[in-house]
Amino acid sequence: MARKPLVYTLLTLISLLMLAPLLMTAFTSLKPAEELVSPPWVPPLAPTFQHFISTWVDANFDTYFLNSVIISTVDALVMIVIASAAAYALTFLKFPGKPIIYALLLAGLMIPPTAIILPLYVTEQRLGLLNTHLGVIVADLALAVPIFIFLMSAYFRRIPKELRDAARVDGATEIQVYWRVILPISTPAIITTGLLEFLWSWNDLLLRLLFLTQDNLRTLTVGMLFFQGTQTRDISGLTSAAMIMAIPIIIIFIIFQRHFVQGMTQGAVK
Amino acid sequence: MAATSRRWSPGRRKRQAWLTAGLFLLPAIALYLVFAFIPTIEVFEYSLTRWDGISPNREWVGLGNYDRLFGDRIFWEAFFNTVEWTAIIVVINVGLGVVLAAVLARKIKGRIFFQTCMFIPVIQAPITTAIIWRWMYQPNGAINEGLSAIGLGFLTTPWLGDLTTALPALAIAHSWSTLGLSIVIFLAGLQAVDDELYDAAKIDGATPIQAFWYITLPALRPVTAVVFVLTATAAFKAFDLIWGTTQGGPIRATEILATYMYKRGVLENNYGYGSAVAVALLVIVTLAMAVYLYMQARRDD
Repeated sequence: MARKPLVYTLLTLISLLMLAPLLMTAFTSLKPAEELVSPPWVPPLAPTFQHFISTWVDANFDTYFLNSVIISTVDALVMIVIASAAAYALTFLKFPGKPIIYALLLAGLMIPPTAIILPLYVTEQRLGLLNTHLGVIVADLALAVPIFIFLMSAYFRRIPKELRDAARVDGATEIQVYWRVILPISTPAIITTGLLEFLWSWNDLLLRLLFLTQDNLRTLTVGMLFFQGTQTRDISGLTSAAMIMAIPIIIIFIIFQRHFVQGMTQGAVK
Repeated sequence: MAATSRRWSPGRRKRQAWLTAGLFLLPAIALYLVFAFIPTIEVFEYSLTRWDGISPNREWVGLGNYDRLFGDRIFWEAFFNTVEWTAIIVVINVGLGVVLAAVLARKIKGRIFFQTCMFIPVIQAPITTAIIWRWMYQPNGAINEGLSAIGLGFLTTPWLGDLTTALPALAIAHSWSTLGLSIVIFLAGLQAVDDELYDAAKIDGATPIQAFWYITLPALRPVTAVVFVLTATAAFKAFDLIWGTTQGGPIRATEILATYMYKRGVLENNYGYGSAVAVALLVIVTLAMAVYLYMQARRDD
């Protein structure tokens, strides 16, 4: 038992090291100009929200933030519906050609989005989707939907078949069974899907950088990229921008922590 | 009567089954085909052409782009940079991940708290990681100031401006933002290990290090493969972090396949050649993922 203190010291040290970059960013974003000379690990003596206000208003981060919220929310909600519907068909319905659908979706698990941006850009251009939020949303959904269909199917398979059969015998249509019987008991899978899709959407840069060239449509990720390109010396601006990006996601994480960790592990191990 | 018999005819039922299933599958499958599957096939097609992405006619050049690719010194530089970058990240995430998971798996108070601390970087956007670490790596940034403060001032260097340190420095930043996930996956694997094994080892007089070496590590072998492949593929296709910091520089010290593809394809409007680079990236990542999914399927059986 003499080893316990050693373990705690080690864990505390590593945890601090892991959090240090974010803590220093938070400290610096709150420091008034005259305190910027102090080392970044020293907390602000007279914290100010001035930099947050100027980044939010002057650097258009209010617009970027709103755009990010819109895209990520729609992504998450639509993903829940389309992934669960497809998983319902694959788990509960009998129809010819099922193996082909499975094979198609399995291929989708292996496609790295980075590698297909050129044809994707041309597709979006042809459909007139460039510089629309819809264009980003449909691409987000398409690239991640296979993962969530498999995640949902894994959950649905644990639901007793009798539950669905009983509802069918009572005269419910497939859509009623899906919406009134299966979805209400699938809350954990729904939350995981919504959270992960929201997170991935919130964090993505590449698709948004390509598809959204008008400043008023840009998301936080693209806004941050250009902001840091032009304001390389504005440490207060950069750190407050990073915090505007990080804070909402940390709050959501702390509320739903269990779902995040489980979901990301399942997505990896299963 | 005719209507009733038609409703129950096998053909009609089959069509009905198709219709219902189709209704459920259509939104997901249609989106997937148009915005993921077909573009994946098209990237191969593009790679056989010369095209600026605008003009109506694409010039067919056969394997010309690949011929050029194999002789392209910068492509190979980007390729080996990608391999080095991936290797550093895998070594850190697997090595440190196993050790930290083994420590966290012990029944200690505050386990969840420590796990949360290590997981918070995982949920950060790569562009946030880019901004934070670029700032910390500046000549007068947190890393150099910290080194000076603990008497290691001789180690200070302009991390991202130096040809030899830029790539490893960014790899460390990438590992910072992914290590937590590796730890959690290892932890999931450790739950399968029977606690009695450790108790028995203790009674036999084994040291914690011996227990780690002879019980923990062998038990983790399957999960290690998972972490290895997931970490490697994530690193191989990374773009945001490098684009948000060095954009491939200084000179080409941090040029990786994704940034090289972006420069050739998007910035220079060279859709054919950019796609050839993309195909190289696609084939490597897809093969790794295919092997991984095969292993998973075999383990599940």
